[in-house]
Amino acid sequence: MAEKKNPVGAFFSAFAANIRDIGTTFAEGDFRTRLSYIFFGIGPLLRGQAVKGILYLALELAFFWYMGSFGRYYLSKLPTLGTVATQKIGRKTVYGDNSFLILLFGLLTIIIIAAFILLWRMNIAENRREEELLRQGKALPSNKKVLGSLLDSNFDKTLLALPMAGIFIFTVLPILFMICVAFTNYDANHQSPTNLFTWVGLQNFKNIFQFSGSGMGRTFFSVLGWTLVWAFFATFLDYFLGMAVAILINKKGIRFKKLWRTILVVTIAVPQFVSLLYVCKMFTNDGLINGYLLKWGLIKSPIPFWTNPMLARITIIVVNIWIGIPYMMLIATGLLMNIPEDLYESARMDGATSFQMFKSITLPYMLFVTGPFLLTQFTGNLNNFNVIYLLTRGQPQSMQLAEKAGHTDLLVTWLYKMTVNNTNYKMAAVIGIMVFVVTALISLSVYNLLPSVKDEEGFQ
Amino acid sequence: MKKKMFALMLTAAMAVSLAACGGGSTASGTTTDSAENSAADSSAAGSSAAEVSTPDTDYGSGEIKVWVADEITDFTSAKIDEFMEANPQFAGYKVTVEPVGEGDAAGNVITDVEASADIYGFAQDQIARLVSAGALEEVAPENIDAVSNENDAGAVAAATVGDTLYAYPLTSDNGYFLYYDKSVVSDPSTLEGIIADCEAAGKNFYMEINSGWYQTAFFFGSGAELTYETDDTGAFTACNSTYASEAGLVALKEMIELKASASFQNGSSVDKATNAAAIVDGTWDSGPAMDLFGENYACAKLPTFTGSDGAAYQLSGFGGFKLLGVKPQEDENKLAVCDALAAFLSSGEVQLARYEEAGWGPSNLEAQQSEAVKSDVALSALAEQLAFTIPQGQYPQDYWTLATSLGDSVISGELTEASTDDELMSTLQKFQESCISYAG
Amino acid sequence: MKKKNASMSRKRAAGNAVTYALLILISLIWLFPFFGLIMQSFRSFDPAVEYGGMVDYIIPKTFSLDNYRFLFSGETNFLLWYRNTLVIAIFVSIGQTVFVLCVSYALSRMRFKGRELLMRFWLILGMFPGFLTMICLYFLLKQFGLTQAGAVPGLILIGVASSGMGYYVCKGYFDTIPRALDDAARIDGASRARIFFVLTIPMSKPILIYTALVAFMAPWCDYVFASYVAFGYDKGYNVAVAMQRWVWTNDYQGYFTRFCAGGVLVAIPVTILFIFLQKYYVEGVTGGAVKG
Repeated sequence: MAEKKNPVGAFFSAFAANIRDIGTTFAEGDFRTRLSYIFFGIGPLLRGQAVKGILYLALELAFFWYMGSFGRYYLSKLPTLGTVATQKIGRKTVYGDNSFLILLFGLLTIIIIAAFILLWRMNIAENRREEELLRQGKALPSNKKVLGSLLDSNFDKTLLALPMAGIFIFTVLPILFMICVAFTNYDANHQSPTNLFTWVGLQNFKNIFQFSGSGMGRTFFSVLGWTLVWAFFATFLDYFLGMAVAILINKKGIRFKKLWRTILVVTIAVPQFVSLLYVCKMFTNDGLINGYLLKWGLIKSPIPFWTNPMLARITIIVVNIWIGIPYMMLIATGLLMNIPEDLYESARMDGATSFQMFKSITLPYMLFVTGPFLLTQFTGNLNNFNVIYLLTRGQPQSMQLAEKAGHTDLLVTWLYKMTVNNTNYKMAAVIGIMVFVVTALISLSVYNLLPSVKDEEGFQ
Repeated sequence: MKKKMFALMLTAAMAVSLAACGGGSTASGTTTDSAENSAADSSAAGSSAAEVSTPDTDYGSGEIKVWVADEITDFTSAKIDEFMEANPQFAGYKVTVEPVGEGDAAGNVITDVEASADIYGFAQDQIARLVSAGALEEVAPENIDAVSNENDAGAVAAATVGDTLYAYPLTSDNGYFLYYDKSVVSDPSTLEGIIADCEAAGKNFYMEINSGWYQTAFFFGSGAELTYETDDTGAFTACNSTYASEAGLVALKEMIELKASASFQNGSSVDKATNAAAIVDGTWDSGPAMDLFGENYACAKLPTFTGSDGAAYQLSGFGGFKLLGVKPQEDENKLAVCDALAAFLSSGEVQLARYEEAGWGPSNLEAQQSEAVKSDVALSALAEQLAFTIPQGQYPQDYWTLATSLGDSVISGELTEASTDDELMSTLQKFQESCISYAG
Repeated sequence: MKKKNASMSRKRAAGNAVTYALLILISLIWLFPFFGLIMQSFRSFDPAVEYGGMVDYIIPKTFSLDNYRFLFSGETNFLLWYRNTLVIAIFVSIGQTVFVLCVSYALSRMRFKGRELLMRFWLILGMFPGFLTMICLYFLLKQFGLTQAGAVPGLILIGVASSGMGYYVCKGYFDTIPRALDDAARIDGASRARIFFVLTIPMSKPILIYTALVAFMAPWCDYVFASYVAFGYDKGYNVAVAMQRWVWTNDYQGYFTRFCAGGVLVAIPVTILFIFLQKYYVEGVTGGAVKG
């Protein structure tokens, strides 16, 4: 890996080098190269590189067609996000500008322009490379060879083309869009196509950090706090208990190992919307558990598993153990078998108890090996939507919390409720960005502390 | 057009991987690009209401989507078939009925007006939200008189935002009363009596006090007030709230007292009630309630309660309505068809048929006078309770969630009998301030 | 010496007895909800027989198949929902496996410009919560006509499109296949593509099955996004979207036992498949855990 340099400085020196290269290519290039500065791919085409030449030219034409037919329209509206209001003509509704589409396609247009500039640069580099080869008296690769390389030296491009296109359209573009939404007033009162929304700067971010009046600051930190507490317990309780169950099952002399494992694994297999909705109903004030406890006279009044905030949080964590142990048990089973039996044998010779062996052999090994896994588990639990939403939907709500947050809401379930129930997209976008910030901070700070983080190439 | 071309281009880009999806890619015809559309459609703008009513008009063709609750989906389809047969001039339109509950309909319509139904049923508490999201068209001028004269005044008020009539009333039964088990509850006239009977029998009393809808039974009952005023666009302009008062305190204390009973369960849905002896619920649950209580099935108006100040109060609440809305259309002909269809589906005759089919209490005055409706046990209890309720006006979406927070605070034990009057009052103060902040 | 052995084995037997007791207890706790679910599914919703809503006892007073009969009767679109979910699951499973395989191979075996950058970029992308972009994805799909009536292909598209980012486990597996094999084949003149198809894929059966299995199971539970894409079009729902209404919405009174029956029908094939392929699943998650 390259040594770390000042990234800003590196960027500017690379940028300057690029500009210089573009200049020298033009100055030293022949007419084919120079023509390529305006008509992409003309150079390769004239040098017999039909495949590359046509591709460049086609992409350039596609770009101008796109810009001319609609890119320009959306780009020009982007600064205002639309000005034409919806109106009525007679009883007919005539919709005005659609802010949503303007923002989405405006953003796409900007990205396409950036890609176009990159294409232009690649086109210049291609010309340079070809001229260089010719100057050295080498033949240019045949068209057949160029195509063939897509299955060989350029196979990565073939493999990655579709997945990257998919990720771009369905992940990158939407995320960029939502980041932009955080700076607009897109909510229930400003909804496309009937109403316009527009840019409002940092107002939404101010709201989430505002503690006085109607600000959401207190609620945000309260929800964030519970999210962190939840992720901590959900990760580590499951981790240790799962390991304990795995040790139980793998104990020498215990039979039917496969049966025990299979029984536990059923919770992974059964779709959660079935199992968790059922469990949720089991624990209600008038549900099965309370019903039987009352019938047997063990309690006088139902235990408020879901309605008492503290108890609801505890119940969720307990139910999550039910979901989480099997995963950890499976993982631990595989890893425990990797620990050399000699270690235990010699420890036993020295008269170590089982607990001592666990403490000084099993645990250190497991922690070392599963460090990064624990981290991903933790960040995964920060966003563990299903367990919370299917069990409590974030409830109970409280007068102490703003913007419909409940005592068991995680940031993600809160975000979901804002999106779906209240169409408060602007605040949902802000919360989403905050989730990202929290996840990134935790990941970065913990990742570098892990003992097992090694150079990736070292594994091979 | 631009959008369509764009969709085509993106589709082409992905066609390699998803040839199968390319086939299903039919960019919707209802684009929002106004500039082009307005030019293309301006010729049609000339057709006036007078023309619309003559059967010779060419209504064109298209699809009309209707969303109603699941239990009346088949009923609605059948009625629409009748309607289409009787009106051959609308034959160009294909009507599809989808089961989307009144609770979901409004949320879905607001998420994407374009993709949602042209005609949809919803509970009235959603109306202001729908109007301000531009998801409700005004009732056609030719139908206004019929709608306002044939339905009860409360229903018409519920369908009105500002001074404009926005929806066709469907039912006038969206209120609640008491279902109870005769063998357990001896006297349903006082809340204390009901609770005592339930406790003695080890049975449950159900009322969803964390719902803004049921909660008002206490507040309005003790004399507190909460109403909003709206303008024509569905925006809330003023709020009148007296929750932070002695009356509000009595109501909140009563909720806390009720919650303290071992028999109390939060909830107002027969389906989700276990071991219930009494339940505060609406007519839509009359079937399941009959199943649940069997021969001990009985209904009554809501009970009275003795407040913390020693006085007796009658539980009040909302009298509510279900409405049928038509969404704004870009095509006037289609709008005319939708209006005609909505008027038909909300007519007295169809309301009565709907009552017979599914037990929905009509809002139509004539249908209300029919023998069948008058002799219905649940509807009679509701009618009796109606005298103590206020017709439900418009409330902002935020009110409902705020009320859930207040109810949850009681249920979760944040507010208990040990809370001082000051604590309770400051909660009510906060509630009232929040309510007022939603207006204007 | 003999005596000591005897006491040791007695001690071990006692320890094992405790372990067995614990395991049996754990098994009971783990299976209890499923037992309840199955029992409820046999309680009739016919008021003449028994009550179909929530009750506070577990064993039905009379066993009946009413709920199952209801699901198959065509009164609801249950069979259609089931088919939708199955179709989505199968296509997502195939598509995801192909995508993940492509990405993993490229990242594990090839060294190209921007590789590190790409991996880091995807890692960062993965830190944004998935629900954030729901509304945007909905309108994007709508541009393609893949909502409501087109919900099934739409959900397949969404399920597959971004799946390349989930390459970690599979790449980790590829990393463990010695590169020497590739190099030997390259010396023999095999192209990258040939190595991929002839050498690597046949060696990756466990990870292929793992990827396909995980991808297959996810759509059965997809309530959130599916409800967003298909709303208002009953025929386009999947089982999760359609059936959660029976529990949460007031429009469906006394549907609880029918929900349980539907849940059983959904759970059975998925569970059987899972238990059948358990070995591969274990291999996958264990490998994934170690690699992080």
